[in-house]
Amino acid sequence: MYGNTGKIVFVDLSRSSVAVESLPEEYYRKYIGGSGLAARVFWERGDFSADPLAPEAMLLFMCGPFAGLKMSGASRSCVAGRSPLTGHWGDSSCGGHFAPELRYCGYDGIAITGRAERPSLLLLEGEKVVVVDAVEYWRQGIEDVNKALKQRFGRGCRSLIIGPAGENLVRFANILNEGHHAYGRAGFGAVMGSKNLKAIVARARSREMLLADPEGFADLRKELNARIKDALASQVIRENGTAANLEGGVYTGDVPIRNFTSNFWEEMAEALTGSALTEKYLTNRAACAYCQIACKRVVEVAQGPFAIRKGPGPEYETIVSFGSLLGSMDLAAACKAGRICNDLGMDTISCGSTLAWAMEAFEKGDLTLDDTDGIPIVWGDMGTVVDVVLPRIAAVQGKLGELLAAGSVSSAKRVGKGSISYTTHSKGLEAPMHDPRGGGHGMALTYAMSPRGACHVADPMLYFEMGACYYPEIGFEFELEPKSYEHKAESAAISVALGAIENSACFCQFADREISIPEWVELFNTVAGYGWDSDEMMRAGRRVFYLKRLINHRYGLTAEDDTLTPRLLEPARDGEPQGITIEFDKMKERFYELMGMDPVAGIPSTETLSAHDMAAEVAEM
Amino acid sequence: MEYWKDTNEPITAFVKLFEEAANDNELRSGLAKVNQLIWFDYTEDGPDCSFHVDCRDGKLDVKAGKPADEPDLVMSLSADDAHRSWSNKLNPVMAITRKKIRVKGSATGLLKLAPKLKKVAVIYNKVLADLGWQDKIMK
Repeated sequence: MYGNTGKIVFVDLSRSSVAVESLPEEYYRKYIGGSGLAARVFWERGDFSADPLAPEAMLLFMCGPFAGLKMSGASRSCVAGRSPLTGHWGDSSCGGHFAPELRYCGYDGIAITGRAERPSLLLLEGEKVVVVDAVEYWRQGIEDVNKALKQRFGRGCRSLIIGPAGENLVRFANILNEGHHAYGRAGFGAVMGSKNLKAIVARARSREMLLADPEGFADLRKELNARIKDALASQVIRENGTAANLEGGVYTGDVPIRNFTSNFWEEMAEALTGSALTEKYLTNRAACAYCQIACKRVVEVAQGPFAIRKGPGPEYETIVSFGSLLGSMDLAAACKAGRICNDLGMDTISCGSTLAWAMEAFEKGDLTLDDTDGIPIVWGDMGTVVDVVLPRIAAVQGKLGELLAAGSVSSAKRVGKGSISYTTHSKGLEAPMHDPRGGGHGMALTYAMSPRGACHVADPMLYFEMGACYYPEIGFEFELEPKSYEHKAESAAISVALGAIENSACFCQFADREISIPEWVELFNTVAGYGWDSDEMMRAGRRVFYLKRLINHRYGLTAEDDTLTPRLLEPARDGEPQGITIEFDKMKERFYELMGMDPVAGIPSTETLSAHDMAAEVAEM
Repeated sequence: MEYWKDTNEPITAFVKLFEEAANDNELRSGLAKVNQLIWFDYTEDGPDCSFHVDCRDGKLDVKAGKPADEPDLVMSLSADDAHRSWSNKLNPVMAITRKKIRVKGSATGLLKLAPKLKKVAVIYNKVLADLGWQDKIMK
């Protein structure tokens, strides 16, 4: 097999057993890798009746075919399975340094079931895989464990670690690589915690890769790496990080404020934007393996109540989640909140959104001091958030910690009093920090259609609406007006397929934007020898999207679940998109039609599945 | 050219636009932060069709033609697309993606001013009106 190694490690922690299996080569051609391949393995071998935190639940880590090939943007991998936050299919992508190391060990992925008797870690040393006792690391923060593992296994080892939040089964616990890069969404840190698995450590011995056309790939890589490095967007985010355009976003209405009650706050725009972070707190820029963009921030807040020593800095999502979303324009506080979440192992988007819901609930009186252990949860009070609330959530401590550790939807259901109406999610996953009312109405559609729930990286609709994409080869030539429904269903039909390709290939969306469709096809063909043309590649993308829909259908999801909460669809109150209504139903209806999906069941029709070579899945349904 | 009868017209309008923008405190301080010598290159419409803005070291000098010094940033596009851009009718990201605008040098600072295009457009329309070119104002 080319590009991929064809080998997956299957681990049963209950038995401490490890088996290496080869998947059929056809799976790679049909489902690409990453979250697509994970979905196929889960469909075939996952226990659909298992609670996400039960030993029987399957947790998957998968690389794409380009991991380890020294390409900008190609060092990502995915985690997948049944999300403990949403109860259905979930996946999450992470950059950093783990994917190349896993590939160099000789594997495309790891599938884990069972529950270790004692806290453990999974150690891959080259092809050798063993389960190792990890009691000494339990209850420790991610930063310390990362250091300890490097001391024990060598500086070159790469690790995935959960924090106390994962151990305590916080439903939005994440998994970190190198203490900086996160599989943030959908709560898979809790799944690792439920399996008594503190970490996965990989240390490769060789770096040999077998490619279909090594010379062709080398030429293409040389050209793409240079282009990705020099691209204007790369320059902008290298200089000022992923929050470089936060200020611009405020003027279009893309940046949510106070639990999406507003999307215009001019003073905040300048205070939280990427250049402010650069000027005030940036000490270094950092990058994922082999990436020339270097969007990562290393920051230090030297003094004040939110002082933090030099270390990983916040990205756009974290700055907004712990900034404007909570009614704060204190950038130092966002840096510290992000750092604490990193160490405790919590997704900053879900955590910030759950806090935003709690602040609104407290303001409305739906949440009282009796519910919060006497702690006022007030807009903009970042001292309380950082010093009191975040540690309580991670420890699931007291009434407040127990309530919020379940995420915003479960919390709202428990509190009642109509508070579910001001949650901001789709399918139980809290929406990211791009407000579809201002950022682009097509995003409302793709948030709702995303199999894992509201997500801005499941597909490139955000970039489509921004004007950053032009793919005439696959029919994307629209000049989209963000605050309109026109051409959005047609664009979304292309976007979800392209997003499935990108996430199955485990590519970074910043780097992806510089790669044309013919170059994508050439990448797959020179690396993995799939022999695709652009039609076949797009078919593979749609196939992955459809398969995830089938998985969700097994969990009982239907077209009714393809929606957003009222808060995200009601007309924005101020700023650029004030008063504009999203024509959601029109877009949704047309999208189903274009995608050949049943408008009630929310899954692809039998004809659609057959046209995508999914007869096996039809039979298995 | 769709909007201009000769290459003097756009340069007259654009130089005047920057002169007027310099009277606006917000735009002036925004340009000061850019701190670059910028060449707006419309030479695809004619060899003399360009102007430059020198906002280095607190200056704000606007002149027709190519600068004598090597520019820090070159923005190359057509004079018609420049007209659309100053009228806030051209999405700069889309224009860059579709190669309508070619950029050489760091545009990070200038792009930070993109949210101010709405304000720039108001000044630009006034400039066009003052020049007696109401017919060029984009609705």
